[in-house]
Amino acid sequence: MLKNMKASQVGLGLIYLVLIIWAVISLIPLYWVFTTSIQQPEEVQIMPPRFIPSVISQYLPLKMSGQTERAQELVNGALESYRLLFQKTRISRWFLNSLMISLTATAGILFLDSMAAFSFAKKQFPGRDFLFWIMVGTMTIPGQVLLVPLFMVVRELGVVNTPWAILLPQLSMVFGVFLLRQFMLTVPSELMEAARIDGASEFGIYWRVMLPLAKPGLATLGILTFTSSWNSFLWPLIAVQKSEWFTLPVGLKTLQDQNLVNYGLLMSGAAVAAIPMIIVFLSFQQYFVKGLTLGGVKG
Amino acid sequence: MSKKLNFLMVLVLVLLVSTSAFASWKGTITLWDAPRWGNEDDDKFHWIKDKIAEFEASHPGVKIELVETPWAELGEKLSVAIAGRAWPDIVPVDISGAINRNHLEQGVVEPLDAFMTSEELEDFFPGALQAYTYHDKLYGIPMSMTVHVMLLNLDHFEEAGVEPPVDGRWTWDEFLEKAKALTFDSDGDGVIDKYGFSTYILQGYYEAWPFFYMDGAEPIVDGKFGFNSPEAISAIQKLVDLKLVHGAAPVEMGSSDVGGTFRALAREGERHVAIQPWNTWAIATVTGEGVNHLPNVMVAEYPSGDAGQPVTVGGAGGWVVMHQRDRQKLDVVVEFAKFLSTTEEQYTFATEYGTFPARKSAEALDPFADKPHMARAAQMVGQAVPLPEHPNWAQIDDRIQAELQLIFAGEKTVEQGMNDAAQQVQRLLR
Amino acid sequence: MVNAPFSQDQEVVTMFKRMWKSRSGYLFILPKYILFTIFVLIPIIWSFFVSFQEYRIFGTEWVGLRNFQDAFQDDLFWVAVGNTLRYAAVVMPSTVIIALILATLIHPLRRGAQTFFRASFYLPTVASSVVIAMVWRWIFQTRYGIANYFLGLVGIEPINWLHSSAWALKSVIIMAVLTPPGVGIILYLAAMGSIPEDLYEAARIDGANRFVQWWRITLPLLKPTTLYLMIVSTIGSFQVFDQVMLMTQGGPGYATTTIVHRIYNVAFRDFQFGYAGAMSMLLFVAIITLAFVQSKLVSSDVEFKG
Repeated sequence: MLKNMKASQVGLGLIYLVLIIWAVISLIPLYWVFTTSIQQPEEVQIMPPRFIPSVISQYLPLKMSGQTERAQELVNGALESYRLLFQKTRISRWFLNSLMISLTATAGILFLDSMAAFSFAKKQFPGRDFLFWIMVGTMTIPGQVLLVPLFMVVRELGVVNTPWAILLPQLSMVFGVFLLRQFMLTVPSELMEAARIDGASEFGIYWRVMLPLAKPGLATLGILTFTSSWNSFLWPLIAVQKSEWFTLPVGLKTLQDQNLVNYGLLMSGAAVAAIPMIIVFLSFQQYFVKGLTLGGVKG
Repeated sequence: MSKKLNFLMVLVLVLLVSTSAFASWKGTITLWDAPRWGNEDDDKFHWIKDKIAEFEASHPGVKIELVETPWAELGEKLSVAIAGRAWPDIVPVDISGAINRNHLEQGVVEPLDAFMTSEELEDFFPGALQAYTYHDKLYGIPMSMTVHVMLLNLDHFEEAGVEPPVDGRWTWDEFLEKAKALTFDSDGDGVIDKYGFSTYILQGYYEAWPFFYMDGAEPIVDGKFGFNSPEAISAIQKLVDLKLVHGAAPVEMGSSDVGGTFRALAREGERHVAIQPWNTWAIATVTGEGVNHLPNVMVAEYPSGDAGQPVTVGGAGGWVVMHQRDRQKLDVVVEFAKFLSTTEEQYTFATEYGTFPARKSAEALDPFADKPHMARAAQMVGQAVPLPEHPNWAQIDDRIQAELQLIFAGEKTVEQGMNDAAQQVQRLLR
Repeated sequence: MVNAPFSQDQEVVTMFKRMWKSRSGYLFILPKYILFTIFVLIPIIWSFFVSFQEYRIFGTEWVGLRNFQDAFQDDLFWVAVGNTLRYAAVVMPSTVIIALILATLIHPLRRGAQTFFRASFYLPTVASSVVIAMVWRWIFQTRYGIANYFLGLVGIEPINWLHSSAWALKSVIIMAVLTPPGVGIILYLAAMGSIPEDLYEAARIDGANRFVQWWRITLPLLKPTTLYLMIVSTIGSFQVFDQVMLMTQGGPGYATTTIVHRIYNVAFRDFQFGYAGAMSMLLFVAIITLAFVQSKLVSSDVEFKG
């Protein structure tokens, strides 16, 4: 008995060890974005690499030993990339663009997709399954293939160089309809029947009965939409030519091409782009989990 | 019935033509431009903004919309815009990249011969006009010329005890000897950490190419692939041997890493290569302020090979006017393009932006009086050869450069690589 | 069915009646379907038609199957197919297997630990591909990269990761494998959580050890999840593009040219939209076929019921 417990504890310890090593390897890229962004300019490209930026490793010792000036210099050097980033580039504008577009896309998708999903899941009408499977079938076509025709459509509508050019194609994505339909299929139809008998309109049933019940699904879709909209790169790169309407990833790519040399600046830009995603993920983690599970297993 | 209709149409046409003589066109012109040089607010579009304001003031009813685009994105975006038939009216590109000969043949770009008098044309350097000419038609107004030059970090030369080439001229053998002498172990740990030479190879970039011309070869000769000729193979082999046999170049040489290559020459703390070829924009960067400032730098020519003369690959910049349905608008657009490329503007570009004027009259104003490196580079404009004209050049270039990357990585011999390229290129040349 | 030829046929009339009765069903999908039609369906149909045409800026030309012939005769198309298959052959199974292993390891842990590891493995996937590729380019630098630094610590010569044919594709694959399959882990964990405990109880009474339990009970019950992940990662790895474009631009030579990268170049550099369209169609057919075969293979296996 005792021997058994020991063995299982050793086993557990091993599991932790493997997981921790793996997690560290996984997190190195993100860790590197943040540490490089606060390194002193001369620390950025050196061999051997400095895994802990000097502002972190030396600030306290310097402060303790009374070298306040030197400590302050370190802090200034660490923030130098960010200072340059906000002064020399339009990053704050890009940030606002990304935020505005992602929020609008999220709200729009939630409304449009929940209506469509409601109909596909709970209503009977001729051609329903056909229309649904056409939508889902298009999910297998790589987006890059459609860039040119999509550009032509956007041009015909006269919205090139406006945020609409980025927004409208995002609102047309079908993943959400698929996800929410899967979710709504699990909601018992009896609830809706009861509302119908009480004289509720079809829209009333959708709005007052289905939406509240679909909240977890909506939360998940909202977060996934926000993330993918925030990170989308290739289409915004092509659809918008004016730097005032760039989104963050596009802005970052142009920084990478222009500043062949300044890794610190690039990484501080990358950090600015990554931070909101990390915050969103950490605060809504359980919805990610729930929603992904819905879309996947029951599909 | 149809006669009446015909008559009406003629009438309308006559009316249209006659009014056009009096009424000047009103409307919006779209112009794309990329960052130039900054003013005190670090606005790199201030030059074009000033020009737009001036032009709008003298042309009531004409509005010019500026689209600011970084250089790196310009090509890709223009490609998509052309494919979607939603191009701007004026763009600052040449006719070998995003706009290529295929587009010219399809009529996407306006030929400008009718708008240029022979006196006007006389003022441009022939090389500049040639860069914008295809099938005897002029497809743009040249603004500037560029060449590729060798940049030498003289501190590195001094550390290695190597004399820089006299007046920036050298033969291949002298160049090779110096590159070898510049390769050494600077910190005594037994590992070579300083190198004589490096460059990169990437589709659409030609820093390495003048070397391949040095024994007299050209990529396309009489409509046939020329880089598998004996003189091409000997020239490529020399540069390959510099890396793979003599070890005078780092392992990254010949890769597609543009940024890493430049840092190896110029960035403080990362400098470990003494000689690199670059387009002339780099002169302004290494002589300017910042981490890429090289305190002691020299501009030199490419080494001369069996052909006896040093060669460089040159290009031209300027304004291309895209296809216009409205002929009256075309007049105004061309007028604006000309307004941007006067002698005065070309002189400003030469002094502020670091390009060579395409006009003789601007060159005559001696823009590089206080910029010796630019003045030295300007002397090389005469050595410049243009890239071949071909509708499929982008694809041909892609094949050649891909093989070159493999050759310089030591994965193929020069003969193998160039013969493989020849097969594919021959098909594209048809 | 909707566009059957109009006649006095009774069936058509009843059909329209039924459609009118259920009009609210159509109204609910209408806004989404309009957007979907304009921005997804029309571009797809355009791509389909253009694959039988030679697209020119002014006026296009029908060329029948020539674009498809060109694809089969183009050496670069086959190079791209080879690279894509090599990438998919490693990345597709490894995403699924790594997700399975990690989920198996995380599942028995306490709640807090579960949440922690789930977050650590999901976090790297929320950053944009631009950011991730930027960092990996830095990691794979020959001279200043940490990959070579660590190799140096154990006495291995520096590797020319992104700029040699031998390593470039492997580098892209390594990046894909080391980016943890966050979605897969979450899905597996959820599926494992829904397996009833009494199944294991019965197995324990039969004297089955942990591994046998996992092999006999857990694995078969995870089959729907496995199938889903396989299909999703097949689609993903056949469409690999961002990483290649941002890290190697398809080089050196054509060592990392993938199908979608080739399609992108043919369309946007060479302006051969017809040819690009034809390759897209071939890719589409390949993905659909693979997904179909996978679902047949997995579900034709022995049927397990809880």
